[in-house]
Parts: sequence; C-alpha cells; structure tokens
Amino acid sequence: MLLFRSEETIDLWCTAHSIPRRPLVNLEQLWQLAIHWYANRLTVESRRPAPDEMVSIFASLGLTGPFWDPHKVDS
Amino acid sequence: MPSADLDTKVKLAIYEITSESGRVPNSSEISRKIDIDKSEVLGAFGRLHAKRLILPEPGDPTRIRMAPPFSGIPTKFPVEANGRQYYANCVWDAYGIAAALRSDAISQTSDGYTGEPLTLEIKNGQPVLKPYVAHFAVPAAHWWDDLVFT
Repeated sequence: MLLFRSEETIDLWCTAHSIPRRPLVNLEQLWQLAIHWYANRLTVESRRPAPDEMVSIFASLGLTGPFWDPHKVDS
Repeated sequence: MPSADLDTKVKLAIYEITSESGRVPNSSEISRKIDIDKSEVLGAFGRLHAKRLILPEPGDPTRIRMAPPFSGIPTKFPVEANGRQYYANCVWDAYGIAAALRSDAISQTSDGYTGEPLTLEIKNGQPVLKPYVAHFAVPAAHWWDDLVFT
C-alpha cells in the first residue's frame, strides 16, 4: 500500500508495474482505517477485525464492492 | 499456562518493547522479558501468525518482520512519535502507529512512483489533510497471501 502525490503518479506506477489501477483511498479514509485496525492494538483485548466487521468498516467509509470483500480467504 | 494466555502475554510484550524502544523484539528478548522458554515464545509466534497478528521473518522464525502497524526492518515509512522513531509497513500502518500509540506523529515518506518527498502528519489527534492518495494494489481477500508485497 503506497502513497502518491496524485492520481497521475498512481497511473504511472500502475503502468510501470503492469498492475491495474485499483480503488483509491484518501487521507481521511486512511486515518479512519488506521483507527479501526490499530487504536486498541497495544491492549489485552486487541484483535484483528473479523471478515464481516471488515466489510462493515469499509462500507462505512464508502469502500464497497468485491475489491473490499475479504471473505474468500478468511472463510 | 493455557496457550491463549501465553499468546496474549507474548503479544503484549512484543508491543510494549516496540512502543518503548522503536524496535520490534526477537524471540530471545521476549523470552527474557516475560521469563519463559524460547521454544514457548516461538510457539506463540506461530499461533499469533495464524491469527494474522504478526508476520515472522521469512526463513527465521525467531524474528518478527511485522507486528502491524510496526515493521521489524527499516521501510519507506519512518514515523516519528513520542520522541522515538518507528518504521511502518505501509502507508496505512504509518497512520496506524499514531493510532496505536494514541499520539501525534509525522512520517517523512515519498511518492510511490516519483520518489518526491511527501509528509504525513497526525496533529492533535487528526490527520493534516492533503490531496495525496493511497493505492491498494491487492484486493482485501488476498492481503495475507504475500503481506510483504501488499
């Protein structure tokens, strides 16, 4: 997961690596993802979100569709 | 000690040492800190990996490559927080270190294509917003297939 100055440099990176352009995440969305994943990581009760929770978190940030669905691996 | 309790103890020790030193510990350091045999630590590392909470170093199970959001090796995402330097695994984890430490933080990173310097900052508990964008090259279902690439 890399950071880019603009969509233009993402397109250049994708072309250089022959990787299709994927959904983009802005900094506000990224901060919310960081809070959901890591705010309790140093505590006794910390755990990684379960697949269904991941889907809900992504959807709450407007990140929907098959790209954001973790069930194929985690089921 | 039940394995679940042992795993929690090991996990907390990993994060305590990392947050206090900026460096992800190996199995020997965990063994000394919580006074258990190294073989028990390695067993816990394996179970924490199975739960997708840590990633051991490929080819060396005594070391931790990732204790997300922290990286066990230097990366393009150094993070300054609480007067210490940490390394994040990716741009998400750069913010994740601020979230985990509940601290303001700054990361002097760079554009993934041009290498142009870019600064990420959490100030007063909020991101300093810029028009930068993160690109997730791998679908969520495959993040742990090759976490180092993801």
